[in-house]
Amino acid sequence: MFPRPIPETAIWQRRLYVVLVVGILIVWLAPLFAIILTSFRSTQDVMGGNLWGWPTQFGLVDNYTAVFTQTPMARYFLNSLTITIPSVIGVLILSTLAGFVLARYRFRGNMLVFALFVGGNFLPHQIMMIPVRDLMVRLNLYDTMSALIIFHIAFQTGFATLFMRNFIAALPGELFQAARAEGATPFQTLVHVVVPLVRPALAALAILLFTFIWNDYFWAVVLTISDTVKPVTAGLANLRGEWISAWNLISAGTIVVALPPVAMFFLMQKHFITGLTMGAVKG
Amino acid sequence: MTKLWRRHRWWLTPTLLILPAAVLFSVVILASAVESLWISLHEWDGFSPMVWIGLGNYRELFADPQFYVSLKNNLIWLVMFMLAPPLGLAIALLVSQKIRGMRLLKSLFFIPLVLASVAVGVVFTWVYTPEFGLLALIFRTFGATAPAVLSDENFVTFAVVIAALWPQIAFCMVLYLAGLNNLSEDLIGAGRVDGARGWNMLRHIVLPQLTQVTFIAIAVTVVGALRSFDMVSVMTSGGPFGSSEVLAYQMFEQSIFSYRFGYGAAIASVLFVIMAVFIAWYLTRMIRADERGG
Amino acid sequence: MTFKWIEKPSTRRNFLKGAGGVSAAVLTGFPMPALSQSSEVTIISDENNADALQILRRIAADFEKQSGTKVVINNMDHEAHKTAIRNYLVAGAPDVCFWFSGNRMRAFVNRGLFDDISDLFEKEKYKDVLGATTGAVTVDGKQYGLPTGGTMWGMFYRKDVFAEHGLTVPATWDEFLAYGQKSKAAGLIPVSIGTKELWPAAGWFDQMNLRINGLDKHFALMNGKMAYTDPALKPVFDHWEELIRQGFFTPDQTSFGWQEAGAFLAQKKAGMMNLGAFVKATFPEQDLEQLTFAPFPKIDAALDRYEEFSVNSVHIPANAKNKAGAREFLAFFYQPENFGPYLEPGGNVPPRNDLPASKDPLVNAAVESLKTVAGTSQYYDRDTDPDMAQAGLVGFQEFMAKPERRDAILQRLEGTRRRIFKI
Repeated sequence: MFPRPIPETAIWQRRLYVVLVVGILIVWLAPLFAIILTSFRSTQDVMGGNLWGWPTQFGLVDNYTAVFTQTPMARYFLNSLTITIPSVIGVLILSTLAGFVLARYRFRGNMLVFALFVGGNFLPHQIMMIPVRDLMVRLNLYDTMSALIIFHIAFQTGFATLFMRNFIAALPGELFQAARAEGATPFQTLVHVVVPLVRPALAALAILLFTFIWNDYFWAVVLTISDTVKPVTAGLANLRGEWISAWNLISAGTIVVALPPVAMFFLMQKHFITGLTMGAVKG
Repeated sequence: MTKLWRRHRWWLTPTLLILPAAVLFSVVILASAVESLWISLHEWDGFSPMVWIGLGNYRELFADPQFYVSLKNNLIWLVMFMLAPPLGLAIALLVSQKIRGMRLLKSLFFIPLVLASVAVGVVFTWVYTPEFGLLALIFRTFGATAPAVLSDENFVTFAVVIAALWPQIAFCMVLYLAGLNNLSEDLIGAGRVDGARGWNMLRHIVLPQLTQVTFIAIAVTVVGALRSFDMVSVMTSGGPFGSSEVLAYQMFEQSIFSYRFGYGAAIASVLFVIMAVFIAWYLTRMIRADERGG
Repeated sequence: MTFKWIEKPSTRRNFLKGAGGVSAAVLTGFPMPALSQSSEVTIISDENNADALQILRRIAADFEKQSGTKVVINNMDHEAHKTAIRNYLVAGAPDVCFWFSGNRMRAFVNRGLFDDISDLFEKEKYKDVLGATTGAVTVDGKQYGLPTGGTMWGMFYRKDVFAEHGLTVPATWDEFLAYGQKSKAAGLIPVSIGTKELWPAAGWFDQMNLRINGLDKHFALMNGKMAYTDPALKPVFDHWEELIRQGFFTPDQTSFGWQEAGAFLAQKKAGMMNLGAFVKATFPEQDLEQLTFAPFPKIDAALDRYEEFSVNSVHIPANAKNKAGAREFLAFFYQPENFGPYLEPGGNVPPRNDLPASKDPLVNAAVESLKTVAGTSQYYDRDTDPDMAQAGLVGFQEFMAKPERRDAILQRLEGTRRRIFKI
């Protein structure tokens, strides 16, 4: 049923439709609302089993303060940014370069290289724990942010290259013929033709990568031990370990950790859809 | 030197461009993957010297009942995850009316996608908690008692998959929104003239234009289903008694808790073979699409 | 090209070379000058108790003031730490780390990952104050760690709930069964348990096995010298099944963690719970005075009393950079005036016998109770091989939910035992 647009004149129909969508949205986000409401509850109530009734007292301030005082959350927050931002930029650069070559140059083994990128990205990454750890030890990078940055760049490059290759392959071929006719070198073509056109794709990719990397916990456990380098997900785990049944604190922590990706998403929402529109549609 | 560069530029430039990504990816990811294949042929606790046992781990694995439980669960994941593309499409269609405020609603539907899977796992564990959870609350308003889904070996995997579907549907919805933006107005207009509406319109005019998006959505969903780990780890740790384990989790459990890195690597290798079948299908599809002039 | 690297699998030698390379680089002063390097002690703790962590930080600050050595504490989530320690002990060890004594410590000692600190024991004369507890950190006559808090396991209950319903503490099996009927009639769950994290079920197995078969047979099983299909275990599972069939335990127990199960006790929904004193973390402050415990009921009256007493510990990794500094810190940390307050919040039994009596009546009760015990085990997953433990914990969880599968479970565990202990 492809929805026929509701005519602008049918005001009541339009209003009803919005009410319907809002209703579905409320069901859709019900678990999230539950978490938000719980993050307002006091520890007294949660321990006493009062999770749904009217709170006897509010713990909003206490809970959110606890998130930042029980664990070095502020420090972790900064670490997460220091890890995530360079990783995202690194992946964007590498995957644009690789995607450009794979999309625009026919050479023997092109498909094989591409297949390796895709295949590697599909692996369950937990199994690489020991080899990656050993590699970082050999590089003298164990327990540094660089170790995490390098791993994230390497791993996400697989997915990102798939994305960028498809995107660049979908650009009209005439552009490249014209560039060649004007005597542009491949590098010039990349900088002056490709990069301006793939900007929306880069924006979309940046959001996805940001969420993936920001939310990683497993590799933080494997590759880091010091509080000075651990990301924000470690803080959430600390809260979980200390307060398994203190749902109010865990809820508050969950919300704090989720804020940056959500904010990022809202800020770049427009680019995200346009970027995906151009990148994803052409397979 | 410059002369040399000029003569070889046509192949040197692309090589240089792809080199950083290729080298990094090979050294960190591919080499590690191959090394874990190598580890799967050994008995190894992660510290001591490795002992070569050839295919011993694989022989044991194929006789291990837990392996088949995990395999079956991966299959359940795969089948149930296939709900994500159609549901994602449904929501995308729902919000693609041009009405004021719809844009904000649209972005609110995305939220599950950007939550950490740990967060989603925590949220749903709590939804399912007997007596206190949201599910129990809903059942109680109807005067019924909610089943403890995470304690029931028959329900648990389904319960975990439903939690995992939440962000996955959002992901598919985003992809379809992008696809719907690109529909040809002409074709739809022509369809309307021919009297196509409702289901017929979707089936014969809209869906054919969304083939590529559907293809991507299925790919992302299959990979998500096979690689599932976080949710199982957060929500059930594979329990009760291993009944919600999937291959990726079993591999982790064997390696970390049982100190059996060789055995864990063997599980990963089997998972990789299953993935490889899918990757092969994916790539042939893509090459064919390219040849059709993509 | 890049694949060459793979042809050299990580053998132990490569590992050590890698790890050695790191510490060598650090020792030669990269990236910090050697001087500041040697005057820093890094610690990894997995302290879940916020108050205890606070005290640990305070002790570290005092040590800094006194010695001029900088102390860095990295606290980790307890579960994540179990993954992390396998990595950091070989890859980039801190100077001090917290872990568990007994078999879990032995696993790392056997692989050369913990430093021998017998010299520290000698110098500080720890054996005099630790007595028998020294055994928990000893392998082949050498000490590899300092015992920190001990957890005495028992049946915890609320005094007010027992008084209100006229319940009495069961000392024998028959009394225990009668207690169950009476508490059920009063609308209580007789025994609260949450097996989501697997281990709480194993405590039941341990204590019933200790009551029915005694310590020697229990350790024979832990050390792989007794079969899981041995007829001696039949009465253990028979007794256990009796309780399960009579509805003693929390329904849907696999959905709950121990903290949630503890909350049932605190909220007066359940009568008793088998755990350590750390269950008090689930009690509101004002209810703490109601919490107390009794030993697990007797089953075979002829047997001596054996109890489950698990001891945590603190270690110096073999790859630590500042072992001298680590020893100084441990000596400081272990002084009664520092160590005592550190133990207080967790309700742990002090391993040193020269600490002043605790402010916590539970701790003092445990200390008294321990004096009458003929011998102790630590806990299933600390006493047996880790691989075996993982299989066993899952098996016990399954037995509690599906007792009719007993034979299949025991057959499976026996298969695992044969593989691990190479029988």
